[in-house]
Amino acid sequence: MERLDYRAKVRGTAVYVADMQMPGLCHGKILRSSIPHGRVTRVDATGALGVRGVIAALTRDDLMTDRGIDPFYGPVFKDQSIVAVDKVRHVGDPVAAVAALDLDAAEEALERIVVEYEELPAAFDVGDALEPGAPLVHEKVRRSPGGFADLAGVDPIEGTNICTHYKLRYGDVEQGFRESERIFEATYALPTTQHAALEAHGCIAAVEAGGRIVVWSATQNPFVVRTQLANIFKVPVSRVRVAAPYLGGGYGSKVYPKLEPLAVALALKARRPVRILLTRDEVFLTITKHAATIRVKTGVKNDGTLVARQCEMLLDTGAYAEIGPRVAMKSGMTAAGPYRIPHVKVDALAVYTNKPPAGAFRGFGVSQSAWAIESQMDEIARALGIDPLEMRLKNAYEEGSEFVTGERLTSIGLKSCLERAAAAIGWADRAPQATAGGKRRGKGIACLIKGTITPSVSAAALRLSEDGSITLFTGTVEMGQGSETLLASIAATELGIPLERVHVVAGDTDVVPYDLTTSSSRSTFHMGKAVQLAARDLCRQLGNIVAEEYGVPAAEVRFSQGKVRFAETTLEYHEVLFKRYGMPGGTIIGQGEVRTQTLVAPGKKMASVFWFVGAGAVEVEVNPDTGQLKIVNYAAAVDVGKAINPQGCRQQLTGAAITGMGQALYEELAFDDGRPVNANLIDYILPSLGDMPGAMEAITVEVPHGQGPFGAKGIGETALIPVAPAIANAVQDAVGVRIKELPLTAEKVFFALQRARKKA
Amino acid sequence: MRNFEYHEPETLGEACLLLKGYGAAARVFAGGTHLTVLMKQGLVRPGALINLKKIPGLKGIVWHPGKGLTIGTLVTHHELETSSLVQRVWPFLSRVAREVGNIRVRTMGTVGGNLASGEPLTDLPCALLSLGSVVSVMGPSGGRSIALEDFFVDYYETVLAEDEILTEVVVPPLPPRTGFEYIRFTAGSVMDRPSVGVSARLSLEPQGLACREVRVSLGCVSSTPMRARDAERALEGQDWGPDALEDAAASAARECSPLDDLRGSARYKREMVRVLVRDALSMAHERANTGGKEP
Amino acid sequence: MKHSVTLRVNGREHRLELEARTTLLEVVREYLGLTGAKAGCDLQVCGACTVLLNGKPASACSALAVDADGAEVLTIEGLGDGAALHPLQEAFMECGALQCGYCTPGFILAAKFLLEVCPHPTEEEMRRYLGGNLCRCGCYMEIREAVKKAAGL
Repeated sequence: MERLDYRAKVRGTAVYVADMQMPGLCHGKILRSSIPHGRVTRVDATGALGVRGVIAALTRDDLMTDRGIDPFYGPVFKDQSIVAVDKVRHVGDPVAAVAALDLDAAEEALERIVVEYEELPAAFDVGDALEPGAPLVHEKVRRSPGGFADLAGVDPIEGTNICTHYKLRYGDVEQGFRESERIFEATYALPTTQHAALEAHGCIAAVEAGGRIVVWSATQNPFVVRTQLANIFKVPVSRVRVAAPYLGGGYGSKVYPKLEPLAVALALKARRPVRILLTRDEVFLTITKHAATIRVKTGVKNDGTLVARQCEMLLDTGAYAEIGPRVAMKSGMTAAGPYRIPHVKVDALAVYTNKPPAGAFRGFGVSQSAWAIESQMDEIARALGIDPLEMRLKNAYEEGSEFVTGERLTSIGLKSCLERAAAAIGWADRAPQATAGGKRRGKGIACLIKGTITPSVSAAALRLSEDGSITLFTGTVEMGQGSETLLASIAATELGIPLERVHVVAGDTDVVPYDLTTSSSRSTFHMGKAVQLAARDLCRQLGNIVAEEYGVPAAEVRFSQGKVRFAETTLEYHEVLFKRYGMPGGTIIGQGEVRTQTLVAPGKKMASVFWFVGAGAVEVEVNPDTGQLKIVNYAAAVDVGKAINPQGCRQQLTGAAITGMGQALYEELAFDDGRPVNANLIDYILPSLGDMPGAMEAITVEVPHGQGPFGAKGIGETALIPVAPAIANAVQDAVGVRIKELPLTAEKVFFALQRARKKA
Repeated sequence: MRNFEYHEPETLGEACLLLKGYGAAARVFAGGTHLTVLMKQGLVRPGALINLKKIPGLKGIVWHPGKGLTIGTLVTHHELETSSLVQRVWPFLSRVAREVGNIRVRTMGTVGGNLASGEPLTDLPCALLSLGSVVSVMGPSGGRSIALEDFFVDYYETVLAEDEILTEVVVPPLPPRTGFEYIRFTAGSVMDRPSVGVSARLSLEPQGLACREVRVSLGCVSSTPMRARDAERALEGQDWGPDALEDAAASAARECSPLDDLRGSARYKREMVRVLVRDALSMAHERANTGGKEP
Repeated sequence: MKHSVTLRVNGREHRLELEARTTLLEVVREYLGLTGAKAGCDLQVCGACTVLLNGKPASACSALAVDADGAEVLTIEGLGDGAALHPLQEAFMECGALQCGYCTPGFILAAKFLLEVCPHPTEEEMRRYLGGNLCRCGCYMEIREAVKKAAGL
């Protein structure tokens, strides 16, 4: 099966937002704060307007005087503004923007805008931000009425920089610690990192003569962006169109509004379509992955049974909440790891700091918590003299296990993932061994559980045309994960027609039915099912037409191999249409919708409609002279429910694992007093083909889920999460040192070894 | 990038005069792999670029047993790597050239541009330094030769005057029983810039264990690529042996002045200098000892 | 001030009047409408802008068009023959060596050069010739397979 987007992509004809042209298009550029925290005392763009080629300049004056604009927005709290209104809160915070005929004019115009700040003390990290008397990033956080259902009741703590404090209490941890035979405590940390999608953010905004807003954007969430734009510009949702072309990678960096509100405001002022394309350094200033410090205290029995676990997660959410509150909540919920533990206490805090905002990143907070939990699991196993794999298997969630929310887990292939990943790297042959040249090898394993955004909605439509071909309408955005093809193939399979007869229209809110988001590894399950249901609805309608037109009981109409059959008659779809309409014409639309809820039955809550479980196992080779490590072998095992497209599964597993390696070994966005130090790809290091091990194994475990299409669940994020702790565990196996802070650099290993030798 | 004036002189004399005329406002342009990065980051804003690539005579690679290897300033890293001449007489140099940057930097970037940039985190200067290289420089009033060890002044700064152009690098012939090794150490990804570079060239006496000539050069760990002279003295004139080797390695670690940065702390880099000087000298010695014609 | 620049792009000659600072990437994307080459990092690291300049891979984001006067430029659009695809394009599709596709044109051109220089590349040669093209979707394993397949290995 050739993927529908492949031919265009290998030929270079696939269109991304930066490739789009439009009559009258002009260029937008953003003026950004050079300080981390300050009051904006003056913004004067008159100088900009004097530059030849400049069409318009946008400042807070335009926003505050125009009653038609509510400049504040944000997916959870309305703490972001189109451009700074009273304060700037991070280096890079937009302060003004210009639209011009060419980029030169735009850049020159930016230099002519006068901005004056009253610089304020800043909170550079979570430690600063939580100090009593710390500078407040937001004096008061604006709330968003009628926001996401799963975040109702999530509130910032007034007078502090605590954006969200998520609390989970399950059992009684103090009791649990009293019952424990050994107690382990440790703190783990991860730095700020970045998604670094190869395609930078970009957006084209136009306002039509009647006031209709049209936006083409590299966004994973056209519908949420549409809603936010409608709220900001105070128009009905039906007068806003947001369309997403192919994305050059998302990984969570392109969910929720980024450039769109500013681009629309600028287009309004310019009275022309405006295109804003970020430069690479601007991307680093726009959205990041939460840095975190996680303190874990675990009580166990001597035989390795987990009794109690207490976690405190501090997530650095940057200057704006973005989706940070949900990250805190979702990662907090699974923070204790995929284990049956009678007593769990989690406090997950998203804390404001004066740095660029952190938001959704592939793994959504779970790679942070898994770094801590899975590292500590190995430390505990070693202290007790138990095999780390055995200890995990002993405590792992199983079918029917009770989760920390009280719900029962189903479709959980965790043990299978652990066993198969371990077997793939020869876990049974484990023994620290010296190899030639004095290098040491070791093996490590890690596992995880993560949920998917619940409640949520996905709807799909299938339109049958007069020649029997199908158009599939879906809000799922193709960002490389292969959704376009997967969804089309589900439709093709259900209808018994060749894939080539299905055309996909995706990501255009004017045309497709509602979809909450392309993220959270949710599209196969939710949208795939919606497509299945739409196909069945289409067949039901065709069946009714046949019944009417041929006088046959509807129950006797059957569908197989792309044809409609009853009695001795076989009809093509287009023949049914012709019979109904008397000509080549007419439309039949099948619709399907998947809606998930958190409250499944009175008193019975469900935090996630399905759970992802997976494991990663790695063999590393450490050079004790330098601390350098090489990945010899890696196996990712993920319970996908059903591998509808095996090649697609493999791509997601190894692809996510490779990003996990970068996050584990190389990546760190460093700041110096709030200023990013390495906001470029020379100094922010991404994994390359040269860093790859000889082989990587992608193992798909299939424990079907009753509600997924063909039993499928989600795939995209799982394999990223266990990589870092598996590597840290392998390093400990190889050379006996424990690294608790990412990235896991050669230097850290080297000095840990030096300290260990000195102690001995 | 801001716009600039652009010239393609057809002789060295013309180029030097242009440079002299512009003063500090003009920059020499060869491969552009270094210069464009500085221009895009706003670190330099040249009023003019003087493209050397129309000037004949700057692209040769010539070997003469008496003189050594002469590399024209406009030879690219990729040309150096794939030159059948270099692969035949000094394959170790080809091995260094193929590690520089990435394939696109290697096809566009030039040996002369690399040296003239004074870029600290790079490979060729360190390797060429241990080979006793000499560069030829042309200015409006004539030419001069400069030993590479006297060529670098500071981060991104060489002795080149505003109106001078580096024209060629000469690597003198090596005595028999010479071994060479260059180690490029990266903090993380193999594609990252090096954080430590170590080059060792060891020539043994015609017979026996004694080290006649030792060159140890270090890259990335000082304001310029440098000779680790104490390290050299620890071995030169001595018999090869583990104690002298350790001495040399420890000396080298003391002599350099690395910085704390994203690619490592100064302390770590010093430790790596010690490890890598030991490894590089050992490998150079092994190659010298096999007595082959080429190191 | 504008310079007259002649470029032979994908076999067709173009004469343009350009400022000296105009990069090859701007020329192919803005002037010639060939948008296969992408802007990724602007600093020659990621390879999304790779074109073949006189047959060799170059970072179009940093190559000056004036400097390339008279040169042959091959972009991804010049690969293949009308509807027929180049073996590398076929191999990338068959092996699933792309996801979002942003790095793909650059990778394919870099691989073309690799196979011209090393018709049966070793792992080491692949690392050296392709290590400078980044793929954030993480298709490196599949890309290696695709290159080997196209090389007949």
